[in-house]
Amino acid sequence: MENPFKQSGDALHRRAQEIRKKICVMNATAKSGHTGGDMSEADILAALYFHVLRYETDANRSVRWHDEFILSKGHGVGGLYACFAELGWLPDTELLTYLKDDSRLPGHPVRQKLPGWVTVNTGGLGHGLPIAAGLAMAKQRHAAQHQGATGRVFVLTGDGELEEGSNWEAAMAAAHFELSNLVVIVDRNRLQLADFTHNIMDLDPLDEKFRAFGFEVHDVNGNQSDAIWKLMESLDYDNRKPKVVIAHTIKGRGVSFMENVPAWHHKFPDEDQLQQALKELDHA
Amino acid sequence: MREYADLRDGAVSAIGRLTAAGQDIIVMVADSTSTSKIGAFMKDYPERVINVGIAEQNMVGMAAGLALGGHIVFTANAAPFLVGRANEQVKNDVCYSATNVKMLGLNAGVAYGPLASTHHAIDDISIMSGFGNVQIFAPCDEVEVAQMIDYAASFDGPVYIRLDNAKFPVVHDASYRFEPGRPDVLIEGSRVAVIALGSVVGEALDACEAVQKESGIAPTLVNLSSLRPLDQDALASIIERHDSVVTVEEHSLHGGIGATVALLMARRQIARPLKTLGITEGEFAHYGTRKGIRQHYGIDAAGIANAIRAQCAN
Repeated sequence: MENPFKQSGDALHRRAQEIRKKICVMNATAKSGHTGGDMSEADILAALYFHVLRYETDANRSVRWHDEFILSKGHGVGGLYACFAELGWLPDTELLTYLKDDSRLPGHPVRQKLPGWVTVNTGGLGHGLPIAAGLAMAKQRHAAQHQGATGRVFVLTGDGELEEGSNWEAAMAAAHFELSNLVVIVDRNRLQLADFTHNIMDLDPLDEKFRAFGFEVHDVNGNQSDAIWKLMESLDYDNRKPKVVIAHTIKGRGVSFMENVPAWHHKFPDEDQLQQALKELDHA
Repeated sequence: MREYADLRDGAVSAIGRLTAAGQDIIVMVADSTSTSKIGAFMKDYPERVINVGIAEQNMVGMAAGLALGGHIVFTANAAPFLVGRANEQVKNDVCYSATNVKMLGLNAGVAYGPLASTHHAIDDISIMSGFGNVQIFAPCDEVEVAQMIDYAASFDGPVYIRLDNAKFPVVHDASYRFEPGRPDVLIEGSRVAVIALGSVVGEALDACEAVQKESGIAPTLVNLSSLRPLDQDALASIIERHDSVVTVEEHSLHGGIGATVALLMARRQIARPLKTLGITEGEFAHYGTRKGIRQHYGIDAAGIANAIRAQCAN
């Protein structure tokens, strides 16, 4: 099974920019949302869903996954919904129901609302990595039992989220159980709710921490979708080592007045800002 | 002479039987191989037991992931560390996400008597009941636990089963069939309905027999092993046929079966004297021998018999 799009270059970059535009419209309409983190992850989601992840969809948009994705930073769900819309799974009009009563699009992903698309209900931080480790183990067992190709599991965590201890329990286990089909992508935008991560709880040296836990560590520009899929394609998923990709990103990426501004963690664009943002995203 | 057996033996042999029959079961432990008595199963199926070390949050998170990957996953570790340390993983990754994980809460109540409150789980039923989307069972003997394991494996969704490390009297014969929701009537008696939770059903049985011996009148004894689902109509109709009620649990009186029965009686306007026996609300349990602790809270056979007598005298 392959990725049904396999897009790259400008086509893939446009996907990321369209995801960003949808995020801005969605959050402006909802007058809420985690705009900064939604924007920083857009290129990662574009690279995964439009190039890396192996899956099949049928006419009813029911998906059969060979690889799987878990959004551990559940508050970045705006980016995920925008990505689902870019995939054609959600109509753009439905994005306008984000956070509203009876919407299928609550402020953190709920698998019962979007069955088959959302893997697991995240929102509490530090949950995605242990679940991903379990799922990666299941995929290894399944492949061994059926002598088929091993599915991979990609989990996107925030960087502030790594302050949660459960991540490190899972990191230890991922190395111990040789989960080489597990890829942890850290959205390293260096900002968390209250301030820059180094002012709150310094995570550096993050690469050495993961290396000490038995991970194979890679750095990538997390706002360059081509760089992301190229790295993912270069990895050896059979080498008995779990992977971490430290994706260096800019929070609020793509819109000049949002980039690297802590307040945009949980801020939404007003009408003027929305127009400005859409213009910038069309031209970059 | 009663036969006594360890609930864990019943649970582990049932898991082995299901696996032998082709069920794709994985058992996860957090360094709790001896606590869970999983050794025999591990010998037969070493690749089906995953020990994550002393890391309960990761155990439950990985269990959810393995379940998402198609396995039937049992977690087996001490109840206090399951409901305490892994609380949010139980809530989000298992219950809320509706993953197919069966959580065995080992050595619940004051099974770890002298090890004191870090190791007691007098709040597991209360905490689990606070979560949505999880079925909650407390077996009273080896026959019942095996049937619960069968049911849990066949049911697609989260289940919590309260277990223990003591040997309990076997009160069911092989013909017993566990039905989720159904209050299990062990003695069909009169006047007082005694409703007991799992680990103290044996104590309640001794108490009922003692009272019958001295008064000639047997109280009714209900083994309330299915806490969720619970057939409220069936339980209400049992209570209505009696003059008074005694509940017994090795659990805090906050959020346990006493509270469940009281709420049911209030909702249905069933006016009967109700005596709730358990660990005093708002306190950590005393530590010491289990016998001593049970005696202190009046949840041993003598204490329960006294409560029944007091209700009869009402």
